[in-house]
Amino acid sequence: MNIIEIKDVEKTYHDNGVPVHALRGVTMTVERGEFLVIAGPSGSGKTTLLNVLGALDTPTKGKVYLEGEDLSTKSRNEIASIRLHKLGFVFQAYNLIPVLSALENIEFTMMLRGIPEKERHERAMALMEELDIAELADKRPNEMSGGQQQRVAVARAMVNDPSIILADEPTANLDTKTGANLLDLMQRMNEEKNLTFVFSSHDPQVI
Amino acid sequence: MLFTIAWRNIWRNKRRTLIVLSSVVVGVVALIMNDSLSIGMIRQMFENQLGSHVAHMQIHKRGFNDNKVIQSVVPDQKRVEEALRSTPEVKYFSRRVVTFGLVSSAINSSGAAIIGVEPDREPNITIIKKSIIEGRYLSGASHEVVIGKKMADKLSVGIGDKIVGMASTVSGAVGSDMFRVVGIFRTVSSEFDKSYVFISLGNAQEMLELGKDVSEFAIILRDRGLVEMVKSKIAARLGANYEVLSYADLMPLILAQMQMYKESMFIVYIIIGLALIFGIINATLMSVFERMQEFGVLMAIGMKNSRLFYMIMLEALVIGVLGTVVGMVVGLAMYLPLSAYGIDLSMFSESLTSFGVGSTIYPVLTLQSIVGILIVIPVFAVLGALYPALKAIRLEPVSAIRYV
Repeated sequence: MNIIEIKDVEKTYHDNGVPVHALRGVTMTVERGEFLVIAGPSGSGKTTLLNVLGALDTPTKGKVYLEGEDLSTKSRNEIASIRLHKLGFVFQAYNLIPVLSALENIEFTMMLRGIPEKERHERAMALMEELDIAELADKRPNEMSGGQQQRVAVARAMVNDPSIILADEPTANLDTKTGANLLDLMQRMNEEKNLTFVFSSHDPQVI
Repeated sequence: MLFTIAWRNIWRNKRRTLIVLSSVVVGVVALIMNDSLSIGMIRQMFENQLGSHVAHMQIHKRGFNDNKVIQSVVPDQKRVEEALRSTPEVKYFSRRVVTFGLVSSAINSSGAAIIGVEPDREPNITIIKKSIIEGRYLSGASHEVVIGKKMADKLSVGIGDKIVGMASTVSGAVGSDMFRVVGIFRTVSSEFDKSYVFISLGNAQEMLELGKDVSEFAIILRDRGLVEMVKSKIAARLGANYEVLSYADLMPLILAQMQMYKESMFIVYIIIGLALIFGIINATLMSVFERMQEFGVLMAIGMKNSRLFYMIMLEALVIGVLGTVVGMVVGLAMYLPLSAYGIDLSMFSESLTSFGVGSTIYPVLTLQSIVGILIVIPVFAVLGALYPALKAIRLEPVSAIRYV
C-alpha cells in the first residue's frame, strides 16, 4: 500500500525575483516498509522533496497524498495533526529541544498527543532501551555527542509509531563510523518493525 | 510539561530574564509606593480636617452650611440634645458658635474663623487641645483665646499677650472683645493654624449678642462607618428646620480628590504597564528570534499553533507573575516599616502643611491596591508577549527551521 504518493510536483522559489526550480514534475510513491534514500548532490532539491513529502512545505504545483488523503485540502491545524500522528522527522542538525532531557524529548510528542504521563514515560524508556540509549535518559542535548543526539532524534521520530519517518541528511553531521551506526539502527528498525524510512543523503558511502 | 519547558526556557538566558524581572519588580515596587504614599497622604489630609474641626457630623439650622451668617442659629438646642442623647451611636457632641471676623494685636491683624467652643466637651471632638505647643487649652475662664502658631507669628503675639476679636453681631453691629492668649496650637495644616481661633462659648455668645444660641453641634460617633445611617435617623427626628450633615457633605472637595486620585491611579497603572510592555516585548522578541529554528522543529513534529502560542505566552506570564510576587515581597518589605514609622518629608514641610498633610507621611496600602497590582502587572506581561507570539506562529515550519 502507498503511504505517500506525489504527482507532478513542482516547487519554485524566488530568489530576489529570480525563479529557482527546486522540483520539476516529480512523481513518486513510497510504500509501507520501504527503506528509501533520496540521493543527489547538494542543491539538487533533496531537502525540498523531503519537506514536501513531510507536509512542511507546500508544492507550487502538483498533489501530495498521504495514505490517500490530499494534503492540499487540509488546514494548517490538520496538517500539524497529520505530522504529529503519521510522520516522524529526523533533522540533519538533530534539533532536539535544548531545555529537555533525552527522555523528555522523546516523551514530548506523546505529550502533544495527550498520552498520560505514566504511559509516555514507560513507552519512551522502553524505546530508549531498545535503541541502547537508556543511559542518556537524563542528559540534556548539550551533554550528548552528535551521534547520541541523533539516536535520540530517531527515537523521538519513532515513538508515536508513525506511518513514515523522514530523515534529512541524518548522517551529515556525524563521523563515518557514527553515521554508519545510525544507518544500521534505522535499517534494523525498518526490518524489525517494518518502519518506513525515507532519507536524503549526498554521501556516496551512505548510498 | 509545557510549564516545565516555559520555566526552563526563561532561565536559558539568565541575564536577560533577570533584567526583565528587575523591570517588573521595580514597576511593582513603584506602584506600591506610589499607591500607598498617595492614599496615605490623602487619608492624612482627610483625617486631619476631620480631627481639627469637621467631626463626623454637624447639625445646624437649615441653610447654615451654605450661608454661615451669625443670625442662623440652631432653633431648639434642647430638641437636638435629646435627639443626640437618645441615639446610642453618638459618642460625643459639643456646641459651637461659628463666625468670621478680624483678630488684631498691637502690631498686626488678620481675618479669622472665630469659634466659640465648650472647653470641657470640645477636646472629645477635635485634636486642638492635643495640638497645643505652648501654654494650655481653654479653661472655661472668661476672655481666653487659643490661636494657631501661624496666626501667633503673624500677629507677633505669645502666651499672655492680648488680642482683640471683632465680628458682626446678630443685630448687625460690630461686636468686639479683648482676649488673652493662653495657648498656641500647631496642627499639620498651616492653613488651619493661621485662620482659626478658639474662645469659650460664653464669650462668643456675649460678644455676638447671641444670648444662649449656638451655630452648630459637632458630633463624634462610636463608628464612623455608621454616619449615613445616623444622619438619616437624626435628620428624620429633627425635621425640616435643621440640616444634619455628615463629614462627606462637609468635605466634598477632599472626597472628590480621593475619587479623582483613584481615577488618576488608573493612568499611572497604564504608564507603568506600557513601560513594562515594551520591556517584555523586547525581551520576548529577542527570545523568540533566537529560538525560531526550535519553533520550526516544534511545528514540524506536530505542535499546533495554538499550543506554541500558549507556550510563549506562558513564559511571559511566568515572568510577570514571578516579577509581581517578588516585587510585592520587596514592596511590602519597604512599605511595612514606612507605614509604621512614617516617611519624614520635613524638607517639603512648608508645602505639605499648606495642604494639611503634615511633614511625616504614613503610607497606606489597601487590599484593593494589592489585588489591582497582582492582576494588572501579569496581564501587562502577557500583553507584551502577544506580538512576538503572533509573529512566531505566523511562520511556516520550513521557513522557521531555516531561519538564521
